[in-house]
Amino acid sequence: MDKDTYATALRNTLTEVRNICPDISCSFIFTKEGMVVAGDEQSVDIPVKKTVGSFQSLMEKAITIGGLHTMIVKGSKGNVHISSINDMYLVIAASKNADMTYIRSIANVIVPTVLKLIKGIVPTPPKMAPSQQLIVESISGFFVGDAVHVDEEILKQWSKNFKGKSVSEVEVEAFGGKVIRCKVKVIGVSGYKGKGLIRVPEKVAQELEVTEGELVRIKPIEP
Amino acid sequence: MKSKSYVMVDGLRLGLDKIKGDEGIIGYILRDAKSASIDIKDPSKIIDYAALSSTALESGESVSEVFGLGDVYSVVVEGKDVKVLSMSVGNSRMSIFMRRDVDHEKICKDLHLK
Repeated sequence: MDKDTYATALRNTLTEVRNICPDISCSFIFTKEGMVVAGDEQSVDIPVKKTVGSFQSLMEKAITIGGLHTMIVKGSKGNVHISSINDMYLVIAASKNADMTYIRSIANVIVPTVLKLIKGIVPTPPKMAPSQQLIVESISGFFVGDAVHVDEEILKQWSKNFKGKSVSEVEVEAFGGKVIRCKVKVIGVSGYKGKGLIRVPEKVAQELEVTEGELVRIKPIEP
Repeated sequence: MKSKSYVMVDGLRLGLDKIKGDEGIIGYILRDAKSASIDIKDPSKIIDYAALSSTALESGESVSEVFGLGDVYSVVVEGKDVKVLSMSVGNSRMSIFMRRDVDHEKICKDLHLK
């Protein structure tokens, strides 16, 4: 899983934890090197560097007790719980009346479990929409309509990719950058079949700013 | 006449002497600007524990400042097997070292601390 996805998943987790436990005023996760991995929406206002700085000197001194696993600071207006998770530290700031046993469960059970799950998840790659490059062949006439026409083979292939569902719409992109979404049909005229053509109604061709013989990229819209 | 803080610290010293033999208690450090009472079972750890005690309270103050926690009542630092409970009492600073499975909240109650 890439770092951004990991951080987003963690940020969402911390935000959700805060939603179910309103006593938590903010939470974030930082590495031993002092880099913030993720934080809930409230943590943006916290001067994290200062917290991490003072915590790092405590980490050094705590070697004598077998490393720094947890730090709990109780104050007259609130509490802070800092706990080690793998190679990172989770900081949870809570109100004075917060149930610290509950906070401890979040820090020691819920967040580590979520972290483990996130690390274990291998994201399913998004279904690649197989795009095709085809040569424009314009069509005109009163009953032409506004659908583009492609080979039946292409539509069949797309259908396979979408578990048998028929593709009825496509995105056509001209190399000039214009993109339009329109309906798609099978080429009916045998002379145009199997030649890598896309038959484009004149009106659509004008919108795309393409002329006959030019290449366009066509991509199915998932049914 | 003894000051209130002096009486409080005197009482605390007595309390610490009472609990130091309890199961899981490793020792304590109680110090003010002029003197220190140190009772740690393993003397080779005294310097390291004193440094940790002092840093724990400083970090606690720093964390409190960042998160707006107000006056710091206590700082607990847990290691792999050992934890330390640090507090400011009057003009003195106290740290009790104990095994990680000892209930430090109970210690606070036994010592009549918040």
